[in-house]
Amino acid sequence: MLYAQFIVNGLITGAYISLVAAGFLLIYATNKFAHFAHGSVVAAGAYIVYTLFNILGFNFYISAALAVVLTGCLGVVLFKFIYTRLQERKASSAILLIASLALMILIDNVLLALFGPNVRTFGLLSAQKGLAFWGISITPLQIIIIVSSAFLLLAVWLFVRYSKLGKLMRAVADNPELAGTTGINAKRIQTYSFFIGSALAGVAAVLIGLEQNVTPHMGTNLIIKGFAGAVVGGIHSLPGAVLGSFILGLAENLGIIWLPSGYKEAITFVLLLIFLIVRPQGILGINRGVR
Amino acid sequence: MLINYLLHTGITIGYFTILIVSLNLALGYTGILNLGHVAFFAIGAYTSAILTGMGMPFLLAFACSAIVAGFFGFLLTALTARLKGDYVALATLGFSFVAISVITNWRSLTRGPYGIAGIQKPEIFGWEVVASSDYFVLTTCVAVISVYKIYRIVNSRYGTLLEAVRDDAIGLLALGKNIYKLKYQAMMISAAFAGIAGSLFAHYITYIHPTNFFLADIILMLSIVIVGGLASVRGSVVATALLILLTESIRFVDLPSSILGPSRLIIYALVLLVILMYRPRGLFGRIDLP
Repeated sequence: MLYAQFIVNGLITGAYISLVAAGFLLIYATNKFAHFAHGSVVAAGAYIVYTLFNILGFNFYISAALAVVLTGCLGVVLFKFIYTRLQERKASSAILLIASLALMILIDNVLLALFGPNVRTFGLLSAQKGLAFWGISITPLQIIIIVSSAFLLLAVWLFVRYSKLGKLMRAVADNPELAGTTGINAKRIQTYSFFIGSALAGVAAVLIGLEQNVTPHMGTNLIIKGFAGAVVGGIHSLPGAVLGSFILGLAENLGIIWLPSGYKEAITFVLLLIFLIVRPQGILGINRGVR
Repeated sequence: MLINYLLHTGITIGYFTILIVSLNLALGYTGILNLGHVAFFAIGAYTSAILTGMGMPFLLAFACSAIVAGFFGFLLTALTARLKGDYVALATLGFSFVAISVITNWRSLTRGPYGIAGIQKPEIFGWEVVASSDYFVLTTCVAVISVYKIYRIVNSRYGTLLEAVRDDAIGLLALGKNIYKLKYQAMMISAAFAGIAGSLFAHYITYIHPTNFFLADIILMLSIVIVGGLASVRGSVVATALLILLTESIRFVDLPSSILGPSRLIIYALVLLVILMYRPRGLFGRIDLP
């Protein structure tokens, strides 16, 4: 029974991580650099909801929808004003990675300066009593989170696989030059993927903010987890990234059965290091000369 | 009051110079995109603090902090030497997180999040370095010697080999050089100097805890190296002095502390972004990032 509870907790963690990982991966696949500020975009999204709903008093659903759109726009702004300019200067992916780390510190600290270090909550749903069955306790909200993220991820997967834009995105991800020769505007597709990836971050922000605390530094933790999930599962494959995220969520929550709970974070990093070194293409990824 | 403040700034510049110049050895000269430097700094600080806490004399603990950090430099290279480009950055970043996470959780050794308090001031052959002025002399001496050593390394024949690892690894292989050995050596030297900087830091502030070493510090170090310019010892020294003076003087701006703390990091992040966008070679840099 103990195990069952840890597995459920692992699935909830996995659901969060996979939303972050999926957005990160959409951006990574078409742009070929690690956008580390993605987690901070989630944090910004959560504060947008907080501002609209708690401070300005909008209806929650309107706030959430607006936040998703605004978060998507934030991603596009970062892409247009920072990354594109760097790319025009022929910056390598290493420089873009460093720039994304700088953006992450920038966004985190702007949030900290604006909203202060205090923990915020949306306070939409007060703490609910968990439903207990078979000795497992799970709140209705957590069920909503798992189910809605599962639906969303399925929708993203169908979109990438079958829609016109999804196919264009995959073409650019596969080979931007070749896609360019067939008349695809790679830059435009990359902008779209920044919008969609960051809008996914907005959805993650709404769901995470419903259940957990909102803090200015929440993004750091989220991107580390999301990135690790994407690497473990395969950084070129959407189902892989989702699988990796759930593996990570389960490993973290099952690991603390044997390890002191403080090591929960370390489990992620150790898994990340092992995969980067032993199988950098991830579980479902294809080796494309990463080493 | 002012003199104490100046001495504090001087000491900070001293140990930071060692940290930045040694990072430049790995990042700029050898071309290893190392984001694990903050871990070596932390390892050096903790090694020195723990060993002197057990009664070891300062000089011996100081040497040990270099050796232990150097060993971890070896370990990290063993893990990442064969990875390419940004995968090196990601793996070394992961290493930083693992190191900080272990420091936070290995309570029996590091006292975890409480940190280690009451670290002794150094005593070197009867010279008790307690006053700030004495500590300033010590830090400056160590910094000058370290910078000179690294300067000699990079301007020797060996330094040319290191730069060849960065510029043309395959050509170097064809000449029968062992590029992995060179990478190991560069990272170990770089890590050892970061360990020394850590030891100086620990004995100066006498109270270290895991939050002294974090992700923001990686950005801070990268900003300084890139502002100064890759593969330029002179650039690193000048940029360290400039940026430390800049952030230390922000204290005098009349702002509430809730704004002051974040604004320091906002400035660093903006400086880094602006430099990357408009002057990617920094002040004295000769090469672009790998």
